[in-house]
Amino acid sequence: MLTEQSAYTNRWRRVSPFAKGCFSLCGMIASFAAGSPRTALLVALIMTTTTTVGAGIPPLRYLRVASPALLFLAASGVSLFISLDFGSSTGGISIHPALGELPHIAMVCCRSLASLTSLLFLALTTPLPDIISLLRRCKFPDTLLDLMFLCYRTLFVLSEAVHETIIAQSSRLGYATVTLSLRSLGGLIANLTIQVWQRSQALHLAAMARNSDGALKFLENSYPHSAKSISIAATAGVLTITMAVMLP
Amino acid sequence: MSDAILKLTDVCYRYTDGTRALESCSLTIRRGTRTAVLGDNGAGKTTMFLHLNGILRPNSGQVLCDGVPLDYSRSSMRKLRSRVGMVFQNPDSQLFSANVREDISFGPMNLGLDEILVRKRVDDALLAVGMVDCADKPVHNLSYGQKKRVCIAGVLAMQPEIIVLDEPMAGLDAAMQEELTIILERLHISGMTIIIATHDLDFAYGWADKVIVMQTGQVIAHGDPTEILLREDVQNKLGAAPIVAEITRRLSLIGIELRDKEYLLRRKQDLLEALTAYRTQEKKT
Repeated sequence: MLTEQSAYTNRWRRVSPFAKGCFSLCGMIASFAAGSPRTALLVALIMTTTTTVGAGIPPLRYLRVASPALLFLAASGVSLFISLDFGSSTGGISIHPALGELPHIAMVCCRSLASLTSLLFLALTTPLPDIISLLRRCKFPDTLLDLMFLCYRTLFVLSEAVHETIIAQSSRLGYATVTLSLRSLGGLIANLTIQVWQRSQALHLAAMARNSDGALKFLENSYPHSAKSISIAATAGVLTITMAVMLP
Repeated sequence: MSDAILKLTDVCYRYTDGTRALESCSLTIRRGTRTAVLGDNGAGKTTMFLHLNGILRPNSGQVLCDGVPLDYSRSSMRKLRSRVGMVFQNPDSQLFSANVREDISFGPMNLGLDEILVRKRVDDALLAVGMVDCADKPVHNLSYGQKKRVCIAGVLAMQPEIIVLDEPMAGLDAAMQEELTIILERLHISGMTIIIATHDLDFAYGWADKVIVMQTGQVIAHGDPTEILLREDVQNKLGAAPIVAEITRRLSLIGIELRDKEYLLRRKQDLLEALTAYRTQEKKT
């Protein structure tokens, strides 16, 4: 929801998704082109600053969105750095820090961080329907994109249904004990399964009523000064890549 | 061109689970009229509506559009569905896209119109339902009433001749119902044929030109609201009488005659105005 909220309310909401996609892609290329952890961190800093200062995403919200991925990255870094030995002579578990591999681990982690910030730039500044529309222009398979579209829309409808069902169950002490909670959870899943089926039928009928032939066709949004935005984004992206390549 | 734009003759329909939804259902919808369909839950209103749009095909009987029976071929269904727009009861079952403007464009895009025309139709539809300010909002951030309006806009953008609304007032507060009534009035003035399923007897009595009363898949009464809804047998079936008609009748019993010879009071607003006029007249005399 935080991502969704940012995507619809940021300063660059009306900037062409193609421009934002282009800059994000350049950020990812720069992350992989970075020759040292320091350069990768610089790329990450550029992407983060662009997202928070440029697009106006509040830094605290940015951190909240990034925190699950950052935790995952930290855990991966630690697991790369430390190796456990279960077969030591004492019979216990011994821990071996891979000190020699530290530069490589730092490089991988910093590159991942830079890539993450590049992706977050796109996710926090562009609503998903715009990203899907961008992918459609890039000739991604229609079926896959239609599925993404329906999943995205249904996600909100079903989350509302889950919320309402849980309230209805809780108001009748459905989650009062562990046993009751398990039973209520089962009821919730069964109810949702039926709802998913019924809603898919209803959506099918609604699509037929509006002359659908199977494919989901929508009008694409138009964005003011698209060419200008794309050229600015491309220039900034190329400069970032150049910096990543040139710096040691 | 025939006055009857849509006609059902002896239509029977049974769902796959064996439920008999329509039994020898016959009715006629006249061009440019406002028709209210009344009946209990399970009376067959929605099933009948799905026949008007060609979504369901009768087991027996015929559905005629402009006097021509539907042949259910792909091309004739395209034509029919561009002429008969359908607004479903639950907006979440109708809205596909996460964005208002995109969702409204779904129907016109399916008609194969060019982008400029689709944009114009979407803008006109947004204007017609008063949702211009919400054009770029995500659908899931809209209120229930706003979602309903987006559903109507989605159908209006296809510029149908007939609009079928399945219980459009359900779940709306009084202010939203009033707004929707104004939208419907504008559509009627523009010449559109409007068919509405409703449980609101007072709304049907005040708004409709024709009413259809259904029970267990059959049409039990069909005609002018001032004639049909004042019949005792119909009132018994529906479990109530239109409140305006009932008040007028009871006032008449105590000697207060509000009813004009030429004009029958149908809307609550008319009743209030007639009462005020009666009081002013009484004061003068």
